[in-house]
Amino acid sequence: MSLRRSWYVFGRELKLSPRSPLVFFAIAMPFLITFLISSVFGSLFDVNPKLGIVDEGDSAMTVAAQQLDGVDTTVVADAITLRTRVESHDFDAGLVLPAGFDAAVRAGENPDLQFYVSGESLASTRAIIAVTTIDLVRGVAGDEPPVDVVVTPVGAEDYVPISDRLLPTMVIYAVMIAALFLPAASLVDEREKRTLDAVLVTPTTITDVLVGKGTFAVILATVMGVVTLALNNAFAGQPGTMTLILFIGSMMLMLMGLILGLWAKDITTLYTAIKAGGIVIFLPVLFTLFPGLPQWIPKFVPTYYFLQPIYDIAIRGDTFADVLPEVAIALVICIALVPLVAWVAKRAEHELAITV
Amino acid sequence: MEIPRVGPNGSGMSVTIADNRDVTTSSDSPATLAIDVDDVRFAYGDTLAVDDVSFTVAPGQILGFLGPNGAGKSTTIKMLTGQLRPDTGKISILGMDMPGQREQIQGRLGVCFEEKNLYLSMTGSENLVFFAKLFGIQGFKPEPLMERVGLSTRLDDRVSEYSKGMRQRLMVARALLNTPDVLLLDEPTAALDPVSAIGVRDIIREEAARGAAVLLTTHDMHEADDLSDHVAFINQGKILTIDTPENLKLTHGTRSVRIRARHGADIEEEVIPLDEEGAEDRIRDAVSTEGLLTIHTEEATLEDIFVEYAGRGLT
Repeated sequence: MSLRRSWYVFGRELKLSPRSPLVFFAIAMPFLITFLISSVFGSLFDVNPKLGIVDEGDSAMTVAAQQLDGVDTTVVADAITLRTRVESHDFDAGLVLPAGFDAAVRAGENPDLQFYVSGESLASTRAIIAVTTIDLVRGVAGDEPPVDVVVTPVGAEDYVPISDRLLPTMVIYAVMIAALFLPAASLVDEREKRTLDAVLVTPTTITDVLVGKGTFAVILATVMGVVTLALNNAFAGQPGTMTLILFIGSMMLMLMGLILGLWAKDITTLYTAIKAGGIVIFLPVLFTLFPGLPQWIPKFVPTYYFLQPIYDIAIRGDTFADVLPEVAIALVICIALVPLVAWVAKRAEHELAITV
Repeated sequence: MEIPRVGPNGSGMSVTIADNRDVTTSSDSPATLAIDVDDVRFAYGDTLAVDDVSFTVAPGQILGFLGPNGAGKSTTIKMLTGQLRPDTGKISILGMDMPGQREQIQGRLGVCFEEKNLYLSMTGSENLVFFAKLFGIQGFKPEPLMERVGLSTRLDDRVSEYSKGMRQRLMVARALLNTPDVLLLDEPTAALDPVSAIGVRDIIREEAARGAAVLLTTHDMHEADDLSDHVAFINQGKILTIDTPENLKLTHGTRSVRIRARHGADIEEEVIPLDEEGAEDRIRDAVSTEGLLTIHTEEATLEDIFVEYAGRGLT
């Protein structure tokens, strides 16, 4: 095997990528699917509502707002700046507290409160800020709440909203096209057009070709997986761990892609195989979407061992140590796939030579 | 029956080829032969594609490999390129064992496939530069090679925009980019217009003159006759004979002179076999006849000889 020749094959794949519809699709997919899902369900991992305040009289509301966990509060110098920043959606809403506001509230004078709302903020965010603001005013006035609210959790304690459960779906789409479909289609194309023949009569081996194509696929898939998590604020404070797991997952799918690409005789066979076998790859996603299904079933599917750790870290707040067993199994699956790829490659090379 | 095998001198060791006839071959030692194929056999399952084939090609020589589709030409080339491993027999290229030293040999091979297997989404120059890198050629400039095959104005056009003939010329250029010691050309002038075909034939001659051993498969008997130092007839996996085109034509068929002359209102034609007794006198008489129109010498074509050997034509 020659790393130099693999590098040239990698370089060719990279150079031709702007001309490949499939690469374009792989890059566009994370953005497209994030847009579609966030349009339907809202952002998967909504950040806190952002509130800007102009405090012209040292109001106690400002201090109280800054102490809230569920709202990010920023003090701004003047009302013009505040309005500009709300208009540009730096803040979901902005409050202008005039001098003497607290005293006027306590005296029961009903003073005016200037409240700017960004047109781009979600309805849910506006409701949160409105309720929070009224609560803060009530606090300044010294009013007691007229009722005692008794909170009773119902349903499953570990319930995860549907929007959060879609995370593995987005990740598998982002990674699968680049890691699995791209090298598989590329190999089938080279075999169909016999360009692989031309490459293999130079000192380049099939291993050099597979390493070059596989490296390109893994890098692109990992990057697109990272982009997907970034778009959805799903790193959970562990970007390094997430990137590592995405890399291992991309490796796994890339090796599967190489096997498919070496096995499929033509592009129609490849599409059919992916359509038929895709359910296996997507199985963990379905079980995440429907948590009532028996959760031991997806453990028979290799992709479970990188999708589940990503889900557990992003949604449940697990650490790398918590997901290490699954990640280790994913790594073992990758290692086990390597000799299988080598065997299929040898067989494919012979098939290619005896095919007229 | 003695049939000289490919070699610069036409004499030397004796080997057995397909039909178990002893064949006299060149006096080259294996070390000086560019291609040395010895009793090679290959089967696709139960179908024997190459049956105890033996031949040699010395540096600077062109061997034309002639046979109909399915005769075993491509399978033989695939064994020479290392794509297929022979079931039995031995292949030595440039003194190295194929497939044992496959990578070293491939670095010195130039291969032109019958199928136009170029990267269509790349430009002509990108195709050449990519393959030059695979050969480990540093600082390769595609321009001279593109100029040589008449594509210098289409350097930066994608191959998908090339005509069939242009793609074929690019295939030839790709086969030459590593200045190969052994050139394996499968129908290199297929799809070319007559002018381009002449250009490619000139390139093949130049490569042979440089010292490259050339194995050329073709259906075109005139091309084989024109280019080849030796031709091998292959049919049903067996090499039927190998010899120079000249020897084949001299030793097979009948040499004759065809004379046409006007006698009054009629045109008469006379064929005089040269090997017949009194042929010289008959020709002299015919030439001195008033009303002589044309005189043509005639000899068997390679096609005729192939039919004689194989019992069938090339197509």
